[in-house]
Amino acid sequence: MLLVQVIVGGLLLGAIYALFSSGLTLIWGMMNFINFAHGEFVMLGMYVALLVVVWLGGGPEAFGFAAAFALFVLGVVVYLSLIRHVMRGPMLAQILSTFGLALLLRYTAFWIFSANFVSLPQVSLSGTLNIAGILMPVPQLVAGVAAIALTFALHLLLTRTTVGSQLLAVAEDRNAAMLMGIRPDRMQALAWGLAAGSAGIAGALMAVSYPWSPSVGETFGLTAFVVVTLGGFGSVPGAMYAGLIIGLIQALSAYWFGPIYKDIVVYALFVALLWLRPQGLMGKA
Amino acid sequence: MRWGLPALAALLLFYPFIFTGPFYWDIGVAFLLAAISASAWNIVGGYAGQVSVGHSMFFGVGAYTPLLFYHLWGLPPVAGVPAGMLVSLGLAVAIGMPTFRLRGHYFSMATIAVAELIRIFVGTWELVGAAIGLQGPAVGRAWWDLTFRSELPYYYIFLAALAVVLYTTFAVERSRFGYYLRAIKAGERAARSLGVPVRETKLKALMLSAIFTSLAGSLYSIKTGFIDPESGFGILVSVQMVIVAALGGAGALFGPLVGALILVPLQTATNTWFGGGGSGLTYILYGGIIVLLARFEPGGMHEWWQQRVTPFLARRKHAA
Amino acid sequence: MLLSAQNVSKAFDSFLAVRGADLAVAEGEIIGLIGPNGAGKSTFFNCLAGDTVPTTGRVLFDGIDLTRSSAEAHARAGIGRTFQVPATFEDMTVLDNVMVGAFLRHRHRADARETALRIIEMTGLARQSAQRARSLGTPGRKRLEIARVLATGPRLMLLDEALAGLTPAELQQAIALVRRIHELGVTLVIVEHIMEVIMTLAQRVLVFNQGHVIAHGKPHEIVANEAVIEAYLGRGHHRRREAP
Repeated sequence: MLLVQVIVGGLLLGAIYALFSSGLTLIWGMMNFINFAHGEFVMLGMYVALLVVVWLGGGPEAFGFAAAFALFVLGVVVYLSLIRHVMRGPMLAQILSTFGLALLLRYTAFWIFSANFVSLPQVSLSGTLNIAGILMPVPQLVAGVAAIALTFALHLLLTRTTVGSQLLAVAEDRNAAMLMGIRPDRMQALAWGLAAGSAGIAGALMAVSYPWSPSVGETFGLTAFVVVTLGGFGSVPGAMYAGLIIGLIQALSAYWFGPIYKDIVVYALFVALLWLRPQGLMGKA
Repeated sequence: MRWGLPALAALLLFYPFIFTGPFYWDIGVAFLLAAISASAWNIVGGYAGQVSVGHSMFFGVGAYTPLLFYHLWGLPPVAGVPAGMLVSLGLAVAIGMPTFRLRGHYFSMATIAVAELIRIFVGTWELVGAAIGLQGPAVGRAWWDLTFRSELPYYYIFLAALAVVLYTTFAVERSRFGYYLRAIKAGERAARSLGVPVRETKLKALMLSAIFTSLAGSLYSIKTGFIDPESGFGILVSVQMVIVAALGGAGALFGPLVGALILVPLQTATNTWFGGGGSGLTYILYGGIIVLLARFEPGGMHEWWQQRVTPFLARRKHAA
Repeated sequence: MLLSAQNVSKAFDSFLAVRGADLAVAEGEIIGLIGPNGAGKSTFFNCLAGDTVPTTGRVLFDGIDLTRSSAEAHARAGIGRTFQVPATFEDMTVLDNVMVGAFLRHRHRADARETALRIIEMTGLARQSAQRARSLGTPGRKRLEIARVLATGPRLMLLDEALAGLTPAELQQAIALVRRIHELGVTLVIVEHIMEVIMTLAQRVLVFNQGHVIAHGKPHEIVANEAVIEAYLGRGHHRRREAP
């Protein structure tokens, strides 16, 4: 049935939202800092994927890895050169820093790549699976599953590894972490790298199925805001569930009201959330 | 600087006669509009420290209502100005009330989300022109349609509006409300402990800012005679307000003026130099400026002046 | 009783910072609150001042239940407080800082200014009144915080280590200032580590450890109290004449 297909499609896209939003909420929970350029990180991941495919003739593993790596580096660089210095300062400086960065990245991308929509040339994954009468395009299926796996991997990294517990220690109590020999600066740089990297790879996964232009960063950024608010301040598991929910709501809105409404409903939901349950699914506001 | 203010007032009053002709008058009007909207933003973003990055929502509402009043009922656009202010007030309350009891990021995120929401929605709504937008009277039916051929009358109307906004900001600065705004920006927790009604104060600041931003939008659409979702509610409208105020000095009375003084000519220049791809490069520049401001001098030119120049001048005076 | 805290507890997730703490302060008293670091004194203060809502228990001020009220409501009711780490308005001048406090009792700038200047004079900050708070050292900031909260005209002031980090001369001045504030009729609850302050100023002392009151009495009684010495120095230490 068409409806089931719409639902599945929404969940698959939602999985990608979950992936890039979990990075945003990690930073938020750890440093009480919201990255207004997060959507641009996703957008850049998409372009990295394009460049790898077009210039280097790379396949899915190559461009996925390249996007993750390139954005990881960018995340660390942004932290070291900018975020570190504005973190302790006035709110105006904090918000302007990544807001300005978003503009810088977006319009540089416009200048380099132009405003035309592009898409990834046909890659090895193609075709459509038919499972119990539901048609699922293979690229979207693979991307969605990969996204869930990666988000879950991030969650495991944070909760089951030493590095993860160090990151969380810094998030909990910076001073106590320092006393335990953990270097907050390094952990925060790592967190930025992870967040940007997961945004990048999410972009690469999306590039497989959807055309884009530099303008998509703005929409992804806003979607991420809604997801992290719904998921709850600093909660990666929350972002996972919330991402899926938002993807679903978007797909259903487009199906019932028309494609224009897919974003309108999500933003309206955001406002409703702020009024009724700002702490989201998992937590404290 | 006793002579400073009268000199400034005189310069602004006589500018169109010192620099004559449509080219200079055009820049003058653009300068005034930038100064008005940035000053409006300054009240909530600069003084209270509540950073709105979606202020275009108020500008857009103020820009649409006059042309809507004309389009739907044939009324002079001016008649729509109060309606715009009213709707903007409603928006301010709708956004401020839930977010001002939460941490600051929620407010900023909400402003950008709502501005986008309205922009997309207006782009689909036939009644308000959808993606095409609305137009004002091509030829004025009477003087109150405010369709002037020359820029000159607009210049003086805008100047009057700027005077009103600046005077209001000045009065606020000196009032209890103003002290409370600055206290909230400087330290919310401490402000609370001194009895400052934080949530109410922030809300009032947002409402005041919304009214003036709406006015700026109305002035814009009355003068240009045209509005569409992008020019009303687009993110670049929000960016413009923020950068003009922040560059000059967020939280300083004349900060937005200084910012407009630097950025409006700069924007005119880059648009001519960079030609077709002009707007793209201009915004790369804007992005860079904002990042540098955030990193090195969030207080803008005003802070730089206070920290570097004033002590330097004082030392020279002492030495002399 | 002017201020009464009954069985106040505050939990952060699973950590109980304050457990069943009681406090009773009569009008005009000076109460000292001592205890090792991490004992929960500041959290308790935050509960009294409305900065945090206690998990259990009640806070009554002049008979009115302020337990769930906001910090602003506490201030308006007449409770003022300073912060352990000074929270002055850094980019505002000393005068403007104090005026923010004064505006609680005055609508108009001129009146607020007058009160502020008077208090600035009284707290010895007159020379720096046009300077930004940021340019003061920590002792200056602490004094500014006191001036600022005094300007709100409180009936009760909660001072959180307001006299820490002062030179001996500054300390005597500060003690004199606190006395003068007391003479104005302000009831005081003072958290301090400096025993000289407690011994000279406090009429009664409460000792906090691990979230609740483990001893209370007159200053000289407390100093000799076994449980108190143990709290500061750990088990196995015997009575000593000197204060911890």
